[in-house]
Amino acid sequence: MRHEANSIPVDNVELLKNYTFTEDDFQFQEKGEVLSDTVPEDPPVGFFKDAMIRFSKNKASMVSIFMLLFIIIMAIFGPMMGDFHFREQNVQWDRLPPRIPILENFGIFDGTSVVTVQVANMPNWESVYIETVRTFYQTAGARTVPMAEIRIDAYANVGAEDVYFWFGSDMLGRDLWTRLWRGARVSLTMAAIAVLINLTIGVVFGAVAAYYGKKTDMIMLYIMEVFNAVPTLIMVIIIATRLGTTMWSLIIALTFSGWIGMAQMMRAQFYRYKGQEYVMAARVMGASDKRLIFRYILPNAIGPTITQVAVAIPTFMMTEAFLSYLGLGIQAPEPSVGVLLSQGQEMLLTNPHAVFFPALVISILMLSFQMMSNGLRDAFDPTLRGH
Amino acid sequence: MSDNILQVKNLSVEFKTFTGTVKAVRDVSFDLARGETLAIVGESGSGKSVTSKAIMGILQQNATISQGQISYSDMDLTKIKQKQFSEIRGSRMAMVFQDPLSALNPVMKIGKQITESLVLSGKISRKDAPAKAMELMKAVAIPEPEKRYNQYPFQFSGGMRQRIVIACALAGDPELLICDEPTTALDVSVQSQILELIRDLQKERNLSVIFITHDMGVVAGIANRMAVMYAGKIVEIGNVDEVFYNPQHPYTWNLLAAMPDMETEQDEKLLSIPGTPPNMLHPPVGDAFAARNKFALNIDNRVEPPMFKISDTHYAATWLLHPDAPKVEMPDVLKKRLERQKAKGAYGNGK
Amino acid sequence: MLKYVLQRVLFMFIALFLVSLFTFFLINSVPGGPFENPAIRPEVRLAMERRFHLDQPLIVQFGHFLRSIVTFDFGISLIVQPSRDITDILTERFPITIVLNLLSNFIIVPLGFFLGSLAALKRNRIPDHAVSALVVVFISVPSFVLASLMQYFLAFRLGLFPMIFSTSQNWDWDRLHSMILPILALSFGGIAFITRFLRGELIETLNSDYMLLAKTKGLRTHQAVFRHALRNSLIPIMGMLVGIFVTILSGSVVVEEIFAIPGMGRIMINALLSHDYPLIMATTVMYTFIALVARLLIDLSYSIVDPRIVIGGGRSAARS
Repeated sequence: MRHEANSIPVDNVELLKNYTFTEDDFQFQEKGEVLSDTVPEDPPVGFFKDAMIRFSKNKASMVSIFMLLFIIIMAIFGPMMGDFHFREQNVQWDRLPPRIPILENFGIFDGTSVVTVQVANMPNWESVYIETVRTFYQTAGARTVPMAEIRIDAYANVGAEDVYFWFGSDMLGRDLWTRLWRGARVSLTMAAIAVLINLTIGVVFGAVAAYYGKKTDMIMLYIMEVFNAVPTLIMVIIIATRLGTTMWSLIIALTFSGWIGMAQMMRAQFYRYKGQEYVMAARVMGASDKRLIFRYILPNAIGPTITQVAVAIPTFMMTEAFLSYLGLGIQAPEPSVGVLLSQGQEMLLTNPHAVFFPALVISILMLSFQMMSNGLRDAFDPTLRGH
Repeated sequence: MSDNILQVKNLSVEFKTFTGTVKAVRDVSFDLARGETLAIVGESGSGKSVTSKAIMGILQQNATISQGQISYSDMDLTKIKQKQFSEIRGSRMAMVFQDPLSALNPVMKIGKQITESLVLSGKISRKDAPAKAMELMKAVAIPEPEKRYNQYPFQFSGGMRQRIVIACALAGDPELLICDEPTTALDVSVQSQILELIRDLQKERNLSVIFITHDMGVVAGIANRMAVMYAGKIVEIGNVDEVFYNPQHPYTWNLLAAMPDMETEQDEKLLSIPGTPPNMLHPPVGDAFAARNKFALNIDNRVEPPMFKISDTHYAATWLLHPDAPKVEMPDVLKKRLERQKAKGAYGNGK
Repeated sequence: MLKYVLQRVLFMFIALFLVSLFTFFLINSVPGGPFENPAIRPEVRLAMERRFHLDQPLIVQFGHFLRSIVTFDFGISLIVQPSRDITDILTERFPITIVLNLLSNFIIVPLGFFLGSLAALKRNRIPDHAVSALVVVFISVPSFVLASLMQYFLAFRLGLFPMIFSTSQNWDWDRLHSMILPILALSFGGIAFITRFLRGELIETLNSDYMLLAKTKGLRTHQAVFRHALRNSLIPIMGMLVGIFVTILSGSVVVEEIFAIPGMGRIMINALLSHDYPLIMATTVMYTFIALVARLLIDLSYSIVDPRIVIGGGRSAARS
């Protein structure tokens, strides 16, 4: 009954309109008697390699890698690119706005700044005058004085016509370009070391607590709670006054309770996975504690760990900025992103660039870490393997 | 055909992922009559759940309906706005999920979850809600509804939770119920109770049901019609006894042969399906099943087979049905078993 | 329940003891002392040190300190506000800092929820990108910069708010008005934190089965989000509030400085820098105590939000 005339296709007939059937079409394909069940199409790929392949296919992740590399390269070579040394002071050239060759011809980074003067005094500024932004009247006591905001060539004003501070200068006339990249170097190094320490302590502590559970966990949890209750600021200040404000003392101060977040996260991840059946199965088959921890459970925690690290580095810089503001930043004349931010705050209203560029560096770091952590999280997500 | 409450026509659904577009559902068409139960059978990843989610309008954000229509009482569900959709959902169509543990909000009281949508849409007052909830809980045979009303999901067993999910689905008195593997996550002993409940409710309320499962054994007891899906396509569709007693697609043969029954003798070999389903990121040219098909023809690698008509209600997509194709018989094991069961009438359509 | 609370309270006091012990020995290990000042003659210095037991072994000094805690008499400040009763200083200054902190939390939670759910619901669309940009600004620009900017533009240029904290002694409108900018400055970090977290959390729950069920029941998207997803993310966020609360306590040191707020900030820094031991210890104890109590309160309230948590019994789950 199968080959009766009415056994015609009921849909997608269009597909077949231009197709002429041949004899060969209705021959059986050459296949052995038994179809093999194991025909791996690709060579087997390891977990990490697979993750890396998927990571490199993700555009956002690659962009983030390039941005990070850019910051790191600038932190290494940036300070050598300018004409200045990071602690070279030219007090007569203080608080100058950014000025970059070539770009200055397009109306940006042209080394001009706006000052407010009495209209009557404007002739004094004639040599550096560029344009008048606005005029207004200011009432001072009984009289009303005509005032003007004028744009001047700030460099010419201090006799530095042929000097270029690419990112401007600070209140001591130091070059902010050189200081920013030097500061980024210091901050990144500190943050990387501190995060590495936090990570090591946190992973070990969290893993041990959760893996062994019961009493061990209770005690370790309590230790974390005690550390968490310590007022961080007080502790940081005490450590900073005890050990001085060197890079290492700041690292110690900031790792004092910094590892707790990492440990808590790791503990939660371990609890989530250690009861899962594949871990039980491995345990039944005689896998050692070490093997269970490192091969079976830890890889699951990679995603959240990376996310945590990604946030930790910019956060670390913020904390450092906060300490700098309280006068507990790294020892002068060494700059750090935090020191620059807090010094920039002092001249925020006249020279906003002094805050803008360090904040920009932190923003870029934060964004790229965030994008990278999203990409890595997807790459390491075992449920997305092979896609 | 006027009594069709749902008509799916050439539906295709795609998922956008980092590595490319996954074609999860490809050119699927079927219709559903009032009071009818259609079972959709297939292995995981065959697109059966995605089809049901597309009908309910609850696809993930990265999924798009790339072509086709879903006609439901003069509306095309692929075109209507979310707001309009939320008025249909619950009151005219509802869904039961696979895992009752994750389908219920863990921190909301059971009774409240059942009548939530009715209260929010103003169909019943807050005051009447408890009575309505208890009525529904009785309808799905929850003992002591007064006491259960104020409990939380974690205080319920798996089977009881699934009954609650069904009660939630019935709250708005829908005419179409989609059951997405409602028994898969349950203990075997509870499975048949839930199936029975769904069957009873279907009769009582004259529901149209789409029943999604990977278990051929479940289909016979509950459905009038069935569709077999493979790699995002329907490969065979027909009345249950047509598909069971006169299967035409090699994949259906395989599915049926892989399922033991009471009569299966100890030395009788259960057939397994060799190979794995194709990667839907790059669906193969031609027939997606060819690579796993013992009876694959050369044309299977060249052109996708159209739906061949076997009877007015029975269709299958395999080149073996083409007049020029060599005659192929279903595997002997299966043939013997089907004859045996036909004699006993084991696969009645359950009605 | 009661047994559990008592146990927790006991552990809390042990923790308080451990932190004080640690801090005490740490501050005493810092070289220098309150009276080591060239302006103070050696014999005066010795007399002063004898008067405040500073000449005795550390362990004895710690004993004196413990007695002072138990009797709630922290003694007098040595340097920062010489001879003034510490209890007096604390009762004058702590409330201001705490009120600032609590009011910031009242801003952080609703705003964080609003922005976080907005971003999650409009994922990868313009509102999401706008919120993400805002979060990046809030996290990468220090609060002292944002505070100075607000002070200059909103207070000085536009005159919408007072430049500095009101000198009014009462909790009246003037004082509240002058607290708005500091509160905002303190809130940015927390808002960014909650927003980021909630966005991630919501994106996950939006695809969860119970959200799908809520939708198939006929709930509108916003109803499903508010009634199911948001309520459930409240549980982890509650745990974070303690962290935010403690972070703001530190953060307020800087903001208090900018807006000239007579809170704990300056007192604490000065005490630390001038080795005003009794004041340092009193402040430490207060801060630790507050953090511990906040943690305890949050832990106890979990059982209200999440019925699965039975106080004292851990998580229970009925299985079939």
